[in-house]
Amino acid sequence: MELQLPGIGEWVAAFFTIAIFSFLYRDNIVYRFAESVFAGVSFGYYVGLAKINTLDPNLFRPLFGDFSANWPLVIPFALGLMLYLRYIPKVAWVANWSLAVYIGYYIGVNLIQRIHGEIIPQAKGTMLPLNVAFGQVLGNLVIIVGVLAVLIYFFFSSPHRGPLKPTARLGIYYLMISFGASFGYTVMGRVSLLIGRLTFIVNDWARPLIESVTG
Amino acid sequence: MKLAQKLLLIDRRIIFLVVFIGAIIPIIRPIGLAVDVSRPVRNVFERVEQIESGDALMISFDYGPSDGPELDPMANAIMRHCVKRGVRVIGLSLFPLGGVDMAIGRMLELERDLQVENGVDYVNLGYKDGGQAAMKAMGENIAAVFPTDSRGVPVDELPAMQNVRNYNNVRMAISLATSVLGEWWINLVNAQFGVDVAIGTTAVSAPKYYAFMEAKQAIGVIGGMKGASEYEELVARAYPDLADLSRTATMGMDVQSIVHLVIIFFILFGNVIFILTRRSGKEAK
Repeated sequence: MELQLPGIGEWVAAFFTIAIFSFLYRDNIVYRFAESVFAGVSFGYYVGLAKINTLDPNLFRPLFGDFSANWPLVIPFALGLMLYLRYIPKVAWVANWSLAVYIGYYIGVNLIQRIHGEIIPQAKGTMLPLNVAFGQVLGNLVIIVGVLAVLIYFFFSSPHRGPLKPTARLGIYYLMISFGASFGYTVMGRVSLLIGRLTFIVNDWARPLIESVTG
Repeated sequence: MKLAQKLLLIDRRIIFLVVFIGAIIPIIRPIGLAVDVSRPVRNVFERVEQIESGDALMISFDYGPSDGPELDPMANAIMRHCVKRGVRVIGLSLFPLGGVDMAIGRMLELERDLQVENGVDYVNLGYKDGGQAAMKAMGENIAAVFPTDSRGVPVDELPAMQNVRNYNNVRMAISLATSVLGEWWINLVNAQFGVDVAIGTTAVSAPKYYAFMEAKQAIGVIGGMKGASEYEELVARAYPDLADLSRTATMGMDVQSIVHLVIIFFILFGNVIFILTRRSGKEAK
């Protein structure tokens, strides 16, 4: 069987993985170097990606390739360039026009999206029937009571006294259970990341290295 | 009680070391623990089973390398499932930091494992900025948002994109999401265009998506490495010839189980010691 040493990519990835893990022992210069490299590479990657995948095919090529058919693209192009006038104090106010268009567009999109796509369907999802099989009734009751209790907990327009007090407390219990579930999932997620890096270190770097050294 | 107080002040690096040992042993020597399948994951699998051969399914790679251990196995399992059913896969990415490269990596692995052809059996449309704007525009015309695939080939020339103009020609969309993008697929693409949407997401993000599934806004949810291992299990059961392909999430669940036991032990241990020291403190007063 032909044995192969890990490639340069594996060596670089292994070095940076171990460099980042070294923070678990204590803060050190190798960790800070790896952190800075990551930040720089991420930014460079994003700029290159935006140019190659968005600006070239959706703006530059259509605009400079067939101007008469694509001239409306001049408007978003100009709005994009205007954003950079922020760095010239005398005309910095021009950037606000671009921001106004950007904010206006996203408020319009988000408003409809949140109301039509979240608030109404989620409210509808809590309007559950109670004239169904016993097991399902229990499940539906847990949801209905939970939604009402949590809403009352977040109702701050009147003090939580009288019947509001136990209901708000029930809301706290629902929230605690929800936070517990989220925390459990978070632990699972973080452990998954550890598994990913350790699997790489063991199977893609250390194992080929040891096997090729020991023959 | 001096011992208990000393244990409460244990150096956190010792805990890191124990977790490291708990994680590394099952990686070197896998245990092969059984995988139970939950309803949210089964829902996604069964919906893909209903798609007819030749139809198209959209997968949005809305995650970066840091979420690869959880979401890569999902992408692998779903795409293998689609290939076995003859479903065309339309891949794209709306996540800037690495989404398109995650898609390229998964698709190269698919090509290697199942001998499929880029542009024919699947297509990678690449990355596009603008999240919601891109999603909304694809409802009109996908080619207007993605004029070419990630290699620069015009989408009109790709057999995989024949008769696929907008969401009306896509049977289902799956967002493998790490950020808010998964929510947008639900509250924009599902709500406004009526496309069946399923979400594969990191464990950290999974709880919020169950609310969408309960409200019938999402077909199902594949949550974290556990969800990925369940999908791998379903694919292996339904298509035994795929069972020998790498199942990284199933292997990872061995480590998850051991590390969770270590963490549970430390949580219980810390609380018991804390209660004992508090009680002894009260008695001393």
